[in-house]
Amino acid sequence: MKLRMLAVLLAASLFSPRLPAQEKEQGTVIDEVTMYVSPDATSQKLARATRGRNVPLVMDRTTISKQAWAHVLIVVDVDLERETERQITGWVPSKMVITTATPNGAEIIFGEAADSESQAQQRGGRKHAAEDAMRLYYRIYEYFPNSPLAGEALWRAADIRWQLEKSDVRMRPSSREMDPNMRDSMDDQNMKLVIKKFSHSKWADLASFDLIDNKLCGSWKGETKCPDKEAELYEKYAREHPQSPKAAEALYNAAWRMGALVEMYKTQHEQDKAEKARRRGVELAQEVASKYPEGDWKPRATELMYALQQGISTYDADQARGK
Amino acid sequence: MVNLWKQAGITLLILSAAGCFAADKEHATVIREATLYVSPGANSTTIAQAERGSGMVVLERTDADNQPWLKVFVTLEQAPQTREVTGWLPGKSVITTSTPNGDQVVYGQAVDSEHQAEERGGRKGAAQDALRLYSRMAELFPGSSLAPESAWRAADIRWQLARNDFGKPLETRFATAEKYIQDVIAKFPQSRQADLAAYDLLETKLCPDWNGLTDCPLKESAIYEQYAREHPQSTKAPEALFKAAWRQAAVTDIYRINNNLDKSEAARRKAMALAQEIATKYPDADWKPRASDLIYKLDQRIPVFSAAVDAGETK
Repeated sequence: MKLRMLAVLLAASLFSPRLPAQEKEQGTVIDEVTMYVSPDATSQKLARATRGRNVPLVMDRTTISKQAWAHVLIVVDVDLERETERQITGWVPSKMVITTATPNGAEIIFGEAADSESQAQQRGGRKHAAEDAMRLYYRIYEYFPNSPLAGEALWRAADIRWQLEKSDVRMRPSSREMDPNMRDSMDDQNMKLVIKKFSHSKWADLASFDLIDNKLCGSWKGETKCPDKEAELYEKYAREHPQSPKAAEALYNAAWRMGALVEMYKTQHEQDKAEKARRRGVELAQEVASKYPEGDWKPRATELMYALQQGISTYDADQARGK
Repeated sequence: MVNLWKQAGITLLILSAAGCFAADKEHATVIREATLYVSPGANSTTIAQAERGSGMVVLERTDADNQPWLKVFVTLEQAPQTREVTGWLPGKSVITTSTPNGDQVVYGQAVDSEHQAEERGGRKGAAQDALRLYSRMAELFPGSSLAPESAWRAADIRWQLARNDFGKPLETRFATAEKYIQDVIAKFPQSRQADLAAYDLLETKLCPDWNGLTDCPLKESAIYEQYAREHPQSTKAPEALFKAAWRQAAVTDIYRINNNLDKSEAARRKAMALAQEIATKYPDADWKPRASDLIYKLDQRIPVFSAAVDAGETK
């Protein structure tokens, strides 16, 4: 009996935080804020919290001298390399905290995220604006999962992280390794989360396209197996995601790799294989031009088709082999 | 007198012959960098390199090395000078006005070059290649459905290159590029491309530095608002309205810092009205959330200008 009681109590303690969690006021900060020991700007400063930091709990609110304050628990980074975090409690101006209780909260956070993303793309834009945008987008998914913006927000958060890691991976010497398993990969956890949570959506299609990056050769080193495998990956993507905004690009990438194979086989004096690759390249480019007549992909495919038909080189195989 | 008439007649004859030469001959360009030779055949002496998008006139055709060769008169734009040379080159990379789908092929190579220019480690000179190819495409195929977009993209690339030409003072930097932007507006009035071209031109009216005063942001806000009113269908209209609203929000902060509270409140209300207009008129894309964020900040009196200055932001 005592054992059963204990089990019930244990279960209650495990599941009980979930119920109040839904009622808890949670959110993020939309500007860089200073945390204070008490609700007073002259009191001791505790820390600075940057945009998008996780506010898992708003504990209290008060108004002093017409200024509204919120007593919050904020998660801040301690060591970026080791990805260690620390939770700090303190007082911040209430207006900087957007929570699940803020009217139009998801849209305000999304707007601040889009603003940070735009800053990150500008020459001389705010430092670490990309990281701010990534955190802000993620909070929308985390705290406003039912918002119509949630899917796009999670995708954007995942894509920013992906692009940052990609640029980091490219700087390493291992990035030139032919075998993708021989170099560092981008962390695919968030991309997989997009696919799982928003399956069959535009965002899932975009996430699947990004994931191809991890399977590409760092460098072809003149080996035909790389463009051959990559063409297959891109074509498979286009067949499995025909509605994706990236389908035309994927099919074009497959066709372009066939064009590269033509040159590679020619330098190896394998005319039959070169001709086969040329025909396949033309077929794929024709498919792009007929299936996706809008935008830039049709003219790009037409140009590729023309080059393949006229025997114009689309890839410098000798240069790629280091000759 | 008779001699004078005779001389004038001969001059006219020469001029009209030159005109016919240009009009009768097939105009063309190259979609790959091509070597010009003295005679047809890759073994002959080389004369020059013709870059992608170079303008040329086809003078003669023949076959050599089992492939067609063309004798062309090429204009090579190698800044600061322009060279005009005649030579032979392989016909396969030459696109003429009679090439089937020639407009698509040249445009496709222009897009490819533009893409190269944007890529880390992309081909050197790819932006200039794209510029030449887009402008040549509009020139060779003026009736193509891609011509307005091509002309606009060429003008815009020229504009972007001018913006980054830090060797020139800001006042004269856009002088040449502006002519091409104006051409797009004149040639394709009421088009999407004309709207975009008009938006680029606003940049010449912006202050290099506000110096913490209200004159500049007020003037710029009016310029952006005017653009949004005059080009409501433009893809840049919500952005222009947002910029007008953001500048009013900045003015709110500047007036408040100077203790001019009435003017600060008036600017705040104007910024609110503009931001609300974005949220209702342009519900798609990022501008609605960005406007909602600005509305929240204005409503809560969160400074936008001083915070932006501290962080070194520009909008």
